[in-house]
Amino acid sequence: MTTTTPQVRKSAPKPGKPRRVRSGGGVMSSTGLYIATGVAAVLFLIPFYVLLRNALSTDAAITGENWQIFPTDIQWGNIGELFSDETVPFARSLWNSAVVATLHTVGVLLVCSLAGYGLARIPYKHANKVFYAVLGTLMVPTAVTFVPSFVLVSSLGWVDTYRGLIIPGLFSGFTCFLFRQYFLGFPKELEEAARMDGLGYWGAYWRVVVPNSLNFFAAMATITFINGWNSFLWPLVIGQDPSSWTVQVALSSYMTNQTVVFHMIFMATAISILPLVFVFLFLQRWLVQGIAQTGIKG
Amino acid sequence: MSTTTRDLARPAPAKASSAKPRRGLRGSPTLNFWLFTGPFLIGLAIFVYAPILWSLWLSFFEARFTVTPDKFVGFDNYTYMLTNDDFVGSLGTFTVFAAFIVPTTWALSLGLALLVNRMRFMRAFFRSVFFLPTACSYVAAALIWKMSIFSGVRFGLMNTVLGWFGIDNIAWLIDPNPPWYWLVIVTARLWLQSGFYMILFIAALQNIPDELYEAAALDGAKPGWQTFRHITLPQLRATSTAVILLLLIAAYQAFDEFFNLLSKTTWGRPPLVELYYKALGESQDYGAGSAGALILTVLICAVTLLQGKIMGFGRGDESK
Amino acid sequence: MSASSNTNWDRRTVLRAAMGLAAAGGLAACGGNTGRSSSGDSLVQMFHAYGEAGTEQAIKRYAKAYKDANVTTQWITSADYESKLFSSLLTDNAPDLFEFHPQIQMVKSGQVADLTDLIDPVKDDFNPADIKSHTVDGKIYGVRMIDDPQFFFYRKSMLEKAKVEVPTTFDELMEAAAKLTTGKVKGLYMGNDLHSVNDTLIWSSGAEHLTADNKIAYHTDGVVEGLKKMRKLFTSGDLLLGAPTESWDPSSFIQGLCAIQFCGMWAMPAIQDALGDDWGVFPFPKVTDSGKPSVYNGGWSMFVNAKGKNVDAAKEYVKWLWIDQKKYQEDWATSYGFHIPPRASLAESATKLKSGNAAEGVKLFNEFGHFDNIGWTQAMRTSFEDVFANCVRKNMDPEAALDKCDTAVERELKKLFG
Repeated sequence: MTTTTPQVRKSAPKPGKPRRVRSGGGVMSSTGLYIATGVAAVLFLIPFYVLLRNALSTDAAITGENWQIFPTDIQWGNIGELFSDETVPFARSLWNSAVVATLHTVGVLLVCSLAGYGLARIPYKHANKVFYAVLGTLMVPTAVTFVPSFVLVSSLGWVDTYRGLIIPGLFSGFTCFLFRQYFLGFPKELEEAARMDGLGYWGAYWRVVVPNSLNFFAAMATITFINGWNSFLWPLVIGQDPSSWTVQVALSSYMTNQTVVFHMIFMATAISILPLVFVFLFLQRWLVQGIAQTGIKG
Repeated sequence: MSTTTRDLARPAPAKASSAKPRRGLRGSPTLNFWLFTGPFLIGLAIFVYAPILWSLWLSFFEARFTVTPDKFVGFDNYTYMLTNDDFVGSLGTFTVFAAFIVPTTWALSLGLALLVNRMRFMRAFFRSVFFLPTACSYVAAALIWKMSIFSGVRFGLMNTVLGWFGIDNIAWLIDPNPPWYWLVIVTARLWLQSGFYMILFIAALQNIPDELYEAAALDGAKPGWQTFRHITLPQLRATSTAVILLLLIAAYQAFDEFFNLLSKTTWGRPPLVELYYKALGESQDYGAGSAGALILTVLICAVTLLQGKIMGFGRGDESK
Repeated sequence: MSASSNTNWDRRTVLRAAMGLAAAGGLAACGGNTGRSSSGDSLVQMFHAYGEAGTEQAIKRYAKAYKDANVTTQWITSADYESKLFSSLLTDNAPDLFEFHPQIQMVKSGQVADLTDLIDPVKDDFNPADIKSHTVDGKIYGVRMIDDPQFFFYRKSMLEKAKVEVPTTFDELMEAAAKLTTGKVKGLYMGNDLHSVNDTLIWSSGAEHLTADNKIAYHTDGVVEGLKKMRKLFTSGDLLLGAPTESWDPSSFIQGLCAIQFCGMWAMPAIQDALGDDWGVFPFPKVTDSGKPSVYNGGWSMFVNAKGKNVDAAKEYVKWLWIDQKKYQEDWATSYGFHIPPRASLAESATKLKSGNAAEGVKLFNEFGHFDNIGWTQAMRTSFEDVFANCVRKNMDPEAALDKCDTAVERELKKLFG
């Protein structure tokens, strides 16, 4: 014991940077740490590599006898081919996804944050019962309500419309739950100050609570946007007509089509992921901070 | 209401409203409670509860090729589903799947969080690498896995690599003996999910007060396993509980990758896939499908509550 | 907003106001729309996505040429077709006409309209088997558009090189697969799930799906033997498995992943383009001594949704396109993939099917072909697919797997025929 301790101490940072000690690391040397992380990172990147390689190859190169590490003759033309293909309106589907994901995000944030705040901070004797009614929906599998939901939405005449794609998905019990957890931890003093200024719940919410929660809102916005962009089953049913397909439906149509054109499929997948990758790289900081503030921590 | 929203969202002079009377309707908590939660609850009632009730109603009828049936059959659909090998088997499939994927994802995301959290250089880079798959959809992942990495033919990546060692092509998703398809499904899910939970753990790790580690060091605890076991892990308890709950719910609702990766099998079907085929697939039996779905729902609720009881999830909320 | 009907105005207004999401409502105006116009009849037709280039444009071109109604087409990607068709048939947005296979549950549930009066005048021109497979109690419920015989395609050069003759029995097929398997090429491909050969295995084992009075007829010793042989083949390592495309797509064959592939007549133009004349076709060989070679004559038919809003207009359109417009019918059958026109007068004039391998395909269709049994429904089909999954892919005892299938099929039969 005594022999190992000093050794480990060496890798511990100087007092100036106490943050680094955490997680009680020490079993692993710095080199070992980077090797382990590096290997994991490579494994995590393989699918992206495969995706890019295939997207920029010809079909002959993809299905050839030997694995080509990377296409020697990069096929940028695949992009043009993808967008000029008439059978799958890919550009339109990207646009639909952008519209749907954006409005979905705005709507979910608005509706769920209000509800989450109400549940967390406004005293009402049955608030707990309401909360459990919300929490209960988390446990109901989508497939349970899938058919009746579809019939319901279709009888409203919402098939093939943005409304049909967006509105039924706004009432996310999970997001509401996360907002509630977050608002539970929101400093009461700030609100009380606002109330002293004569603001009601509504005023305090918009003038004080929201402006002070932008990090968390940004985090939730990112997650919601990703979910909106990536959702598949619902758009698949609602988007009967190709003009209302989202990008996920378009992708799956490449996969289930009678003919499989590899470079098109992978190019489409790559392009469908691209917007989110950018969103991620730019918003990551807020996302991490925001999540750190969620009630998820308990 | 929408106009109010706009007015308030605009950075109006802060003092403008203070002239108005404070008490009265605006001050009533009950009214405000409904004002805040009302829109959400109305939507929830229409788009979540109404369909659930519709399912409940359907489950007592013989509803084949219709969602407006008229032949009441009592509990027939329930007995049919509970005695149906495929459905009961799918619950078994799920149990195996959950028993494996939940702890594995938990361990992997915690492991990644510990690694990334200890880094001094390139920390943001590695965090991004692990987090990036979260941006991908199950459709995209299923596509990459099925069409390229685990394709059963010679130009699949895994088969190419095995080929270098002289191993014959493996039909990963087709031949259930040995059950390689689990490898495909589990890796896809780990790839997609771990990054997100890693972020949760990183956030939690950063919330652990430094004093605890300092105190532990003073008490002679070895950095490494001992500190991890006695400080880090207990401090992560709340996050772990939440993560496990989320993973469990996600596992119960597993659908996309099973649906896209395993077609036309009688194995490896979690309950949702089984129900999808029962109700929406070719037999169009909405009565039996709804009954199965409700059985599943009851089961999920029971497990979640049990897990909550055991791990104490949700108890902390009220005290705050 | 303007594009939608007004019946739900109230509900929508309430919702929208309640959510303070005025924007979401207005956006519907720029959303996609099924394109129903108020002038004249509007019809919606639903097709599964054919793989051959030009097919979607062709269907839309025919629809555009029709003057009496505005016909829009929903082109559904194939793997989702059944579930999408079935779930949309339940709603207000159900298609007025759709393509599917003759299955009796659609008739019993009143889903498909009686088309006897459309077909009767030209009944003699149709392949009698196609009429029979669409008839229940003397009424005809669908118009056959195309017949699609399915059989094996083989690479002549590969067989010559391996000194393999065209197989005439299933045992020979297994031997051929073994000899043709080399490092990077597998001998045989029958689809990943093997479901394309379910029906032919039954026929080539000397059995049928159902008897004439709708009792189980597939549970015979011959079929059990066939299943055991399939299992042997499946585990032999000579079968291509895990290919990215299913057997209805000729890609695996064209890419040289296999020497023999089970596919359909429709793939002939694509294969001809890729491989020239280096290929031939043969039927699914006999499995048992008492069996015979067989070919599955699949295909697609047009049905009218009897619960739709425009049944008469839909029937008119079906009559116009699939009875009267022979030019379009011929174009549909032979200009993209190859299909056999179900009408004798067209089959005779289809020159593209007169020579080479196409002619051979027509010969197999006539000599060994079996048509759909309308009493064999999708649910039964699924149950028999489970037999393949359970005992061929998963090594369950064939008898046990068939017993399990019997239970499910009996349940269906009882519901349909009492």
